[in-house]
Amino acid sequence: MSRIQERMRARARELLAQGTVQMVIGWEKGTFWYLSPPVFITDAGECDRLVWDEFCANNLAKYLLDYKHTEDKIALFVKGCDARGVVRLLQDNQIEREKVYLIGIKCPGMKDGRLADALGEERRHEVPLVAKCRFCTHPEPVIFDELLGEDEGAAARDAAAAAEGRFAEVEKVEAMSPDERYTFWTSAYDRCLRCYACRNVCPACNCRECIFDRSQSGWCGKQMNRGENMFFAITRAMHVAGRCIECGECERVCPEGIPIMTLNKKIIKDLNELFGEYEAGIDLEDLPPLGRYKLDDPDEFH
Amino acid sequence: MAVEARVNPLVPMEGRIVKIIEETPDVKTFHVTTEKGKPFTPMPGQLAMLSLFEVGEAMFSITSQGPEHLEIAIKRVGMLTEALHEAEPGQTVGIRGPYGNGFPLDMFYGKDILFIAGGIGLAPVRSLINYCIEHREKFGHLWIIYGARSPADLCFKQDLFENWPRVENCRVDVTVDKGDEGWKGHEGFVPAFVEKLNPSPEGKVAVTCGPPIMIKFVLQSLEKLGFRDDQIVTTLEMRMKCGIGKCGRCNLGSRYVCLDGPVFTLAQLKEMPNEY
Amino acid sequence: MVKIAKEKLPVLLQAWAAGAMVFVPQEREGTRVFLPWNGEGKLALGEENTLEPPKDLFFPRTETMYRYKVQGQDAEITEVPSFEDKMILVGVRSCDARSFALMDDVFLTKGYVDEFYRRRRENTRVVALACTEAAPTCFCTAFGIDPGRAEGVDVQMRPLDDGYLLEAVTEAGQELLNQAGSLLEEAGKASPPGAALPSLQVDVGGVTEKLQQMFEHPYWTEVSRKCLGCGACTYLCPTCHCFDIQSENLGNTGYKFRCWDSCMFSEYTRMAGGHNPRPSKKERLRNRFLHKLQYFPERYGKFACVGCGRCLDRCPVNVDITRVIREVKEVTL
Repeated sequence: MSRIQERMRARARELLAQGTVQMVIGWEKGTFWYLSPPVFITDAGECDRLVWDEFCANNLAKYLLDYKHTEDKIALFVKGCDARGVVRLLQDNQIEREKVYLIGIKCPGMKDGRLADALGEERRHEVPLVAKCRFCTHPEPVIFDELLGEDEGAAARDAAAAAEGRFAEVEKVEAMSPDERYTFWTSAYDRCLRCYACRNVCPACNCRECIFDRSQSGWCGKQMNRGENMFFAITRAMHVAGRCIECGECERVCPEGIPIMTLNKKIIKDLNELFGEYEAGIDLEDLPPLGRYKLDDPDEFH
Repeated sequence: MAVEARVNPLVPMEGRIVKIIEETPDVKTFHVTTEKGKPFTPMPGQLAMLSLFEVGEAMFSITSQGPEHLEIAIKRVGMLTEALHEAEPGQTVGIRGPYGNGFPLDMFYGKDILFIAGGIGLAPVRSLINYCIEHREKFGHLWIIYGARSPADLCFKQDLFENWPRVENCRVDVTVDKGDEGWKGHEGFVPAFVEKLNPSPEGKVAVTCGPPIMIKFVLQSLEKLGFRDDQIVTTLEMRMKCGIGKCGRCNLGSRYVCLDGPVFTLAQLKEMPNEY
Repeated sequence: MVKIAKEKLPVLLQAWAAGAMVFVPQEREGTRVFLPWNGEGKLALGEENTLEPPKDLFFPRTETMYRYKVQGQDAEITEVPSFEDKMILVGVRSCDARSFALMDDVFLTKGYVDEFYRRRRENTRVVALACTEAAPTCFCTAFGIDPGRAEGVDVQMRPLDDGYLLEAVTEAGQELLNQAGSLLEEAGKASPPGAALPSLQVDVGGVTEKLQQMFEHPYWTEVSRKCLGCGACTYLCPTCHCFDIQSENLGNTGYKFRCWDSCMFSEYTRMAGGHNPRPSKKERLRNRFLHKLQYFPERYGKFACVGCGRCLDRCPVNVDITRVIREVKEVTL
């Protein structure tokens, strides 16, 4: 990983120094050894802040929206999931391809910072993968302008192989009785703080203005209770249906540990069964199943 | 156990709209009273929280008062004001207050006062003008400079053209951005009009209220005319919910506009974060 | 000094629960939160602080303020019955105990008393628990808080190997101990472990004065870039007290409620006409830090941060208030 980190810094320096890009977005070392949060570099002299280690879990794609109204070209480091996030934004016409420069990294899977804290630094090598990486189907970036780290292929393929259990959590919930299922979801969403971290980190949540930021629109109330929390959860899940890139960021950033991806994956599973296998954010030309129109659609429109 | 009887400041009184005056196409003045008479007796520049229970609640400046009622002038801008504009006399409303500091009257006693207002910004200023007229002997010369986008948009026309010009030692100058066929008065923006009228800062206090862009340029004009920062008073508007300095959102630095404002001198404003 | 054996603590909680609602940290889905004690939960007093602060017991996430009924032009309102229940909070850490004093400043001073808060606060007794271990995110000592001894509480608990030392700090606290009766024993020479010493240190000296000169500083653009603009930090903060007031209509009746709000949200300051004095996350994040470290000290003479570390622990992008304090002190004006 340290070799990739060296190349990362070198490329960032070159791109900034040559003026190819005006900003590089990557990861830096955070407060603790198990945190590698996003960093934004505009000065070639600061590129040594960039790190590449097993805690670069944050998906960086969404940040591109913060700069869509600037003239700047931005270099973004992309793991598999970041790259799918970029495809999501491109497909949704949120950003222009020529304004981003994508540096791909084959991802070996990121580690769980919270569990790392519990284990302690001396047992760093034992830290398990973060939940979002456990069932990753595309650890290698699906879109990039250049690729770093040819040497991580094996680990990446291992991670992909683990993708067998992608719907395991969904199947557990499906096997529950309706009452059990109701309890499962209500006890999860009773905890929801409505902090909207899930929405804000999600590359599929890219509405210019979110309905939940217009609490007086009459659609959704601001009370933090079961009904409103569920309304929020279901509305968001349905809005990203077919567009969720399975980066798992929503669930990772949730301060209350709500199993949001189980809900998203249930919808993905259903969509696969109804409309055929589809993975969002892989192919720019392959539109989401609910986002395309066919004249020979077998169902009627009402 | 006896429960201590305390007034809950967040629970409104039931009030009733008894009269509605259409000022302009998008401004109406509402006369509000309660079964027990006037809801409360505000000082000029103070605010009231007015609500239609099923729609919402918002803070408005109180533009005037009578012995039995408060007058609140409201411009149609959002959901609540839209609903209020559709209301008719007899409508029940929630009302609580008075909130805010009001105009610093001590600063005005014995002085000439220059009032500069634009559009609905005349609403809070009017409460002070009427107070000065009621207590005429305590104040010097009153000079009211007012502007609106068009003749139709002029608020409080009866005051502007009939009541105030008749007050002793009081002058009223009105401008519109753009006149119509019937308009014989001045045309032009308020800040330029102020500079043209060229009031001297000597022995004066200036009070200005209006759209943010107008205030910004009026302040520049006053500065040009030689007014000092501590001679200029203005009022601010922020989104408010509680009105009592608890809910957080109307802060400017460490001050809450609902409690420590809405009236500030320019000298005070310059010491506060420019975030309004 | 008296003590209680570890296994007898649930019995004591049960005894207190006979005359009050007892809230104590318990396990919930792998985390710890203050929950009402019903004799069955799993106590979580030995570990790190709770995920959520106990502020919602005085300042609920959602609270009905009054009800109304609308009939044509007529309408009437009914006040909700005042909160009469007694509450006992057990296991409150020193940081959270300080936060109660800060919330008191907001809700009970400066000309208006918030009656909803006052009723709950006055009906509550607080039993504090000394910290003997600090989480990596803890930094309460930066604000002069003693993790071994809480301020403004009724009883101070200190963990022993086999139980807890209990010390009544107020008369009300003594009454609580009197209720415990034979569950308590003389502590003799039992000496509790020393108070926790947080490893995360930050010197807050001079930060308010520096911030007073930094409102327009480009630092805020830089520090806010990674912020997601979510409300996790504000909702988990024991001193964040912002709320919204809205209506919930049910046919021709309804109720006015207040609920937590966050200065990190765009809607928070957006006015009816559309103007927003804090239009982007830069202004919003700046306001949050200035509120904690400048505005609150200016208004109430105290920092509005207690070093509990919850924001640092749960921020999805590691926005770290201790780092902000250090950087603020270093940046050139």
